[in-house]
Amino acid sequence: MYVYTTLGIQWSAWALLLWSQQLTASTLLDCRDDQGSLSRCTSISQEKLLDRVIHHAELIYRVSEELCSLFEELFIPFPFRLQSNQAAYACITRALPIPSSKSEIQQISDKWLLHSVLMLVQSWIEPLAYLQMTMERYDHASDMLLNKTKWVSEKLSSLEQGVVVLIKKMLDESTLSTVQSDQGTVQNDVQPEVLESVLRDYSLLTCFKKDAHKMETFLKLLKCRQTDKYNCA
Amino acid sequence: MAVSLSSVVLLLLLIIALNWLPAPGSAFLIDRDPTTSSATLEPHFTDCISRDQETFRCWWSPGGFHNLSSPGTLRVFYLKKDSPSSEWKECPEYIHKNRECFFDANHTSVWIPYCVQLRGQNITYFNEDDCFTVENIVRPDPPVSLNWTLLNMSPSGLSYDVLVSWEPPPSADVGVGWMRIEYEIQYRERNATSWEALEKQPHTQQTIYGLQIGREYEVHIRSRMQAFVKFGEFSDSIFIQVTEIPSKDSTVPFTLVLIFGIVGVLIVIMVIVASQQQRLMMILLPPVPAPKIKGIDSELLKKGKLEELNFILNGGGLEGLPAYATDFYQEEPWVEFIEVDEEDAEGGDKEDNCSSDTQRLLGLPHRNTEGFSAISPPDDDSGRASCYDTDLPEHDTQMLMVSLLPGQPEDDEASPDAPASETSERPLIQTQIGGPQTWVNTDLYAQVSNVMPSGGVVLSPGQQPKIQENSSGSERETQKGGKLSEEEQKKNEPQFQLLVVVPEGSGYTGENEARQTSTPPSSPVPGSGYQTIQPHAMETKPAATTDASQSPYILPESPQSQLFTPVADYTVVQELDTHRSLLLNPPPSQSPSLCQQQHPLKAPMPVGYITPDLLGNLAP
Repeated sequence: MYVYTTLGIQWSAWALLLWSQQLTASTLLDCRDDQGSLSRCTSISQEKLLDRVIHHAELIYRVSEELCSLFEELFIPFPFRLQSNQAAYACITRALPIPSSKSEIQQISDKWLLHSVLMLVQSWIEPLAYLQMTMERYDHASDMLLNKTKWVSEKLSSLEQGVVVLIKKMLDESTLSTVQSDQGTVQNDVQPEVLESVLRDYSLLTCFKKDAHKMETFLKLLKCRQTDKYNCA
Repeated sequence: MAVSLSSVVLLLLLIIALNWLPAPGSAFLIDRDPTTSSATLEPHFTDCISRDQETFRCWWSPGGFHNLSSPGTLRVFYLKKDSPSSEWKECPEYIHKNRECFFDANHTSVWIPYCVQLRGQNITYFNEDDCFTVENIVRPDPPVSLNWTLLNMSPSGLSYDVLVSWEPPPSADVGVGWMRIEYEIQYRERNATSWEALEKQPHTQQTIYGLQIGREYEVHIRSRMQAFVKFGEFSDSIFIQVTEIPSKDSTVPFTLVLIFGIVGVLIVIMVIVASQQQRLMMILLPPVPAPKIKGIDSELLKKGKLEELNFILNGGGLEGLPAYATDFYQEEPWVEFIEVDEEDAEGGDKEDNCSSDTQRLLGLPHRNTEGFSAISPPDDDSGRASCYDTDLPEHDTQMLMVSLLPGQPEDDEASPDAPASETSERPLIQTQIGGPQTWVNTDLYAQVSNVMPSGGVVLSPGQQPKIQENSSGSERETQKGGKLSEEEQKKNEPQFQLLVVVPEGSGYTGENEARQTSTPPSSPVPGSGYQTIQPHAMETKPAATTDASQSPYILPESPQSQLFTPVADYTVVQELDTHRSLLLNPPPSQSPSLCQQQHPLKAPMPVGYITPDLLGNLAP
C-alpha cells in the first residue's frame, strides 16, 4: 500500500508537471510538418529553439529519473538496486566518443557538442521503443509506468527533430534524422518478469537516465556559449 | 534453452549468495546496517561527495581495526570504468588527516562509473556497493548571502510576509549551466523543535508567508541538483523578527475617535428623539380624528350594539350620561366629544336659534378645553377606521370635513406631509371662543336625513355656513403642527362652499368613494331640498371625476335653503324600508325653528347616524 500511495503521489505530481510543460513545449518545433520537410522549418529563431530543446531535455531527464525509481520500486529487489552502478559499464552508449568531464566538454567545439547530443538522442530512440514494448508485457506494470515510458520515447523523438533543426541553423549542415542504430539489444524471445530481463530493463533505464542528464548538460553548456562566449569558455 | 536455464540458475545462486553473505562493511551508498557491531567492522568508506560535479572526495574509516588507523596503512584504489580494460589506480591525492582521498578535475569524469576500495597490507576491503557515478553523489554547497526583507503586513497587523533571497553557492557553476540547482528553505520558531519546509524551487528567492509579529524565526536553506536525490548541507541560520510597527499605532486612535464620534452622534440623536417624542409623533403620525360621543363607549358604535346606543342616545342612559362623560375619555384630552345633550329632550335637535350641534359642542369653551385640540389618533380606531381612511388624500379629507362644517379646521390627518404652518400657535381656548362666533351656526356634523333611492343623501338642515378663512379653528389645527399649506391654501382661497351631490342613478357609492372623489361636481343637482354650492378653487385630485353621478357627497345642505324641516340631529338607524331608506326613530319633537326640513319623499324621513355597515346596505 505504501508503494501505491507513493506512486499515486508521484503520478499526480508528474501529471501536473507534464501537463503544464506540455502546454508550453508540446511541440518542439512550430513548423513541424510531415516527415522529411523539416528543412523548410525556418520560422523559429535559433535562441528560442535552443531554449525549447533545453527545456525538452530537462523534462526528459526528470521523467526518466522518475521512471527509473518507479521501476526500481516495482520490480527490483533490494540487493540489486545499486548494481546498476556496476552494470553501467554495459550501457549501450559507452562506445560513443562523448566527453565526460567538464574540462573536456569545455574544450570541444559547438559543432562537436551538438553532434554528441544528436548521437546520444539517436542512439536511444530504438531502445526506448523496445522498452515501451516490453513494459506492456509486465503483469504488474502500472499505467503510470507505461505512460511515462511512452511519453519519454515520444519526447525523445521530438528532441531529435529539434536538435537536427538546431544543427542546421547553427552549423548550416543538414544531417540525416533517425539513424537506425544497430546496437541490437532487442531480444523479444525472453519472457518478461524473469529477473534477467528485469535487470536488463533496469540497466537500460539507468543508462538512459544518465545519458539524459548528459544531453541536458551539454545543451546548457551550449546555450551558455551562445549567450556569453567569454565567461563560458 | 539450456543456456537460458543455466543463466537463470546462476542468477539464482547469485541472489542466494548475496543474501547470505554477511556484510563485512557497509557501503556508503546504502544505509549502514545498525546491527553490525563496530568491533567487527572492516575498514570502509564512509562517504564520497562531490560539491561541484567536477571534483569529488572520499572518506574512509578503519572501522574496528585501530591498528590500521595510522596513515599509510590503508590505501585507496579506484576503478574508472570507461573502458573494458580499465585498472585499479591509487588515489591521486591523499589528505591523511581527514582520511580523505581527493579527486581533482583531471581525474573526475561525470557519467562514468567509479568504484573505490581500500587495501591494507595484504587484504582488500572492497564492497560492491561502493560504486557510483559522479553526478549521483553531488551534494551542492549551501547558498550564500542569505537575507530577508519585509514584504507586507496583514491588515490586522498580526502577521507578515517575508521575502528571503540568497545567492547560489559559488562552488556550483550554475551560471554556465553545468549544474541545475534547486533550493529548499526551512524555517521554524526559535523554540520549536521541527522545521517547516517550503517547496523546492530553482529560483534564488522565496517568500515565507504568515509569520507572526513578535516571534523570532530561524531560517536556513540547502540545495541539491534538480531531479537528484542528495541534498547539500544546510546554510547558517538567519533570524527573522518583526516587532510592532509604530505606524500602526497612529491608525488605532483614529479609528477609536471615529467610533466614539459616531456613537456620540447616535446618542445625541436618540436623546433628541426621546425628548421630542411627542412632537415627532405629531409630525410623523398626525392624529386622526374620530367621532367620540361623550358618554358613550365607542364600542357600542360597532356592529350589533344599536340597541344600547339607541338606548343611550334616546334617553335611556340620560342620567348616566354625565357619569359616562366623566368616566370615558377623561384622560384623553384629544378626544373631540360630541355632546349629546338630552336635557333638551330634543335628541339633538337644533336649538331655537338653530344652534347646531356644533354650537352645542363648542358652546362652552371650558367644556371643551380638553377637546378640539388637534385630533390625535386615538388608540382605538373604533368607529373611525371605516369612516376615515388614513390614506385619504389631503384634499379629500379637507373637502369632506370642510364640507361638513365649513370653517371647521382641518384635521391633522389630512396633512401628514405638509410643512408646519406658519401661523403662530393660538391657545385652544381662544380659538374656541372665536370659533363659535364665526361658524356658530354651522353644523360640525350633519345628520343624514334621508337617503334617496338614487343614492343621494339628504342631510339635516344646517345653519348658514359661515366660512371664515381666518377661523381660529384652522389655526388651532395648525397649532398642533398639523396643517400645512393646505390650510393656508384654504385661507387664501375664497370661500369654499358646500356641495351636495346627488348621484344620478348610479347608486350609492359608499363613503369611501365619496371621499376619494375629491372633485366636487359642479353641476347643480336638481331637486328640491338640495342645493349645490360651488367650492372655490378647490385643488383636488386631477384624477377625481367631475361627474356628478359618481360622487355623492355627504354634505350639509345649504342653509340658504330654508326648506328643510328640522329633524333630530342624531338618531339611530333602526332599519331600512322597502325603498331602502333609513328608518329611524321619529324624533321626539320637531323644533319649530327655521331649520325646517322638507321631505322630498313621501316616506318618513329616516334620520340618523349611518353606521358603516349600514352604508353597504344603502347601495342599490
